[in-house]
Amino acid sequence: MDVDKLWIVNEAIQSALQTPYHVIFEGLLVIWILRLIFSKPHKIPDKEEKLTAKEKKELVDLWKPEPLAPPVEKTLAETRPYRLVNGQVGKNIVINGHKCKNFASLNFLGLVGNKRVDDKIEKCIQNYGVGTCGPRTFYGTFDIHLELEKKLAEFMGAEEAVIYSYGFATVLSAIPAYAKKGDIIFADEAVSFAVQKGLQGSRSKVVYFKHNDMDDLEDKLKQQEKMDKKDPKKAAVVRKFMVVEGIYMNSGQICDLPKLVEFKYKYKVRLFVEESLSFGVLGKHGRGVTEHFNIPISKVDLVIACMENSLASGGGFTCGRHYVAGSQRLSAVGYVFSVSLPPLLAGAALEGLKISEENPEIFARLRQKASFFQNLLKGIKGIKLVGYPESPCFHLRRLHPVTPEKDLEFLHDVVDKCEKNGICITVATRTKAEVLSEWPASIRIAVSVQMSEKCLKEAAKVICHAVKEAFAEQRKS
Amino acid sequence: MHTGTTNQVANPNTVVWNSPGIWITYLLTTGFMHLILLSMPWFTTSVSWTLTNVLHGVCMYFFLHTIKGTPFETSDQGKYRYSTHWEQIDSGTQFTAARKFFMTTPIVLYILASFYSMYDFTHFVVNTLVLLLSLLPKLPQLHGVRIFGINKY
Repeated sequence: MDVDKLWIVNEAIQSALQTPYHVIFEGLLVIWILRLIFSKPHKIPDKEEKLTAKEKKELVDLWKPEPLAPPVEKTLAETRPYRLVNGQVGKNIVINGHKCKNFASLNFLGLVGNKRVDDKIEKCIQNYGVGTCGPRTFYGTFDIHLELEKKLAEFMGAEEAVIYSYGFATVLSAIPAYAKKGDIIFADEAVSFAVQKGLQGSRSKVVYFKHNDMDDLEDKLKQQEKMDKKDPKKAAVVRKFMVVEGIYMNSGQICDLPKLVEFKYKYKVRLFVEESLSFGVLGKHGRGVTEHFNIPISKVDLVIACMENSLASGGGFTCGRHYVAGSQRLSAVGYVFSVSLPPLLAGAALEGLKISEENPEIFARLRQKASFFQNLLKGIKGIKLVGYPESPCFHLRRLHPVTPEKDLEFLHDVVDKCEKNGICITVATRTKAEVLSEWPASIRIAVSVQMSEKCLKEAAKVICHAVKEAFAEQRKS
Repeated sequence: MHTGTTNQVANPNTVVWNSPGIWITYLLTTGFMHLILLSMPWFTTSVSWTLTNVLHGVCMYFFLHTIKGTPFETSDQGKYRYSTHWEQIDSGTQFTAARKFFMTTPIVLYILASFYSMYDFTHFVVNTLVLLLSLLPKLPQLHGVRIFGINKY
């Protein structure tokens, strides 16, 4: 070794010995390294992930010392047999072999079986085939998708629209694309199951307010405002959302959109409106609840709708500002990971929109028929009609409920009797996993614009008669 | 992160320090930075070594313990939105290989820096402070801790 280097090392050792605290410190560090080498990886328990009382109860309820699945006989005994539909669903439906008038399908504009739509579908099948075999980001975007998105944005008066391939998954993907863990969502307690799953998937804190009760919502918003004042740094990074439906699937009521927009600007909360039942129903041109209340659509952050109801197609769409839609194309689960909408359904939706634009009086006619039918059914004794007066989708409940099981039996009885007499209606199905488990059972009626007044009067007579008979039978038993 | 049909994790930040070749890259980068400092004629050997240690420590503190969340969209609904990169490594598991590596490099640099600065007192103070800045936030007792609410949100 060089003499200079040896001299430097010697010098270094000399100065080391003069500063013993330094050497001791380095010794401790070497011991720390040895400790590191011999320590095993382990996880520390999450201290932030405190389970709420509800989650603890859910986990406790989940544990059951029973077989993995209940015996088949028990499950079969609790479910009712399916009612089998034959042939096309339109104004008439062949259900369980009975030819009935269709008051169950949400075919509001009567586009199922429309000749123009069917021709367009045939052309699309010849042009594109049937499926797309790929998500939008992976060779699944066809020109007809872009055309439909443009047409929808133009129809609704929004900046951009995004299409999904499954109506249920539309709102399920749209909400978690924006609301993440740590955010707060104020949702109506009667939102449909799809919205509930979207809220659950977002992993945000969900605050339910009483159905359509704007005072309750304002209370909850004020409470949140108070909490925000105590911790402004946290409030600055927590995003707040409100999720409501235009016409609620579970009750047929309309939301109070002017009040909601007022709250949006007063409490700085983003507004999402789910318009599956109000798109193609409300408003002068069928643009939904925003047109109905004369509120510019830019005031609503995201309008989510399902093309499976009024447009009689498939899938769903959302529309909003450019930057809002762009975010969905990157992080909405149903858009990124699901195969895109079959071109034939996109073609059907396009044709449906064209027909709606050419006949704008169809929406007023639909609402007029809906209110006519509602007035006919209001007079039935023992039945309460729930829903916005002009909504073509409304509910019939028992006026004096007995027990949930008996009410459900009664309603199924009414449905069976109506089916035998040529009117097809349905009990609104709910799953056991819904948030609001004590929602009263009801029959959901859907009015199509194809139904003539004579037809509606006859249907009202049949339903009235069926209800009377069902009551008589219940009194006997 | 959706990057096609490759093998994916929800948050790539959790596994990046286990990728092949990344430790060597890190050491070479630090070594390269040291060589640049060493080649400046106005820095003595002691100063350049201490400066390497300081720069390394400050950069490590900034990138591992100050910046939170991810610069890209993750598919875990914002689970690591308020976590620093150190807390994200290996999803919070303590004493994994990557973490041991990161705890060892400041110590090795410290020993080298104090040797080449001839155990001078000023250099000792500076190097020790920087070492504490590098090591203390990595202790498992301080996982997720935000003192005085600094850097909490």
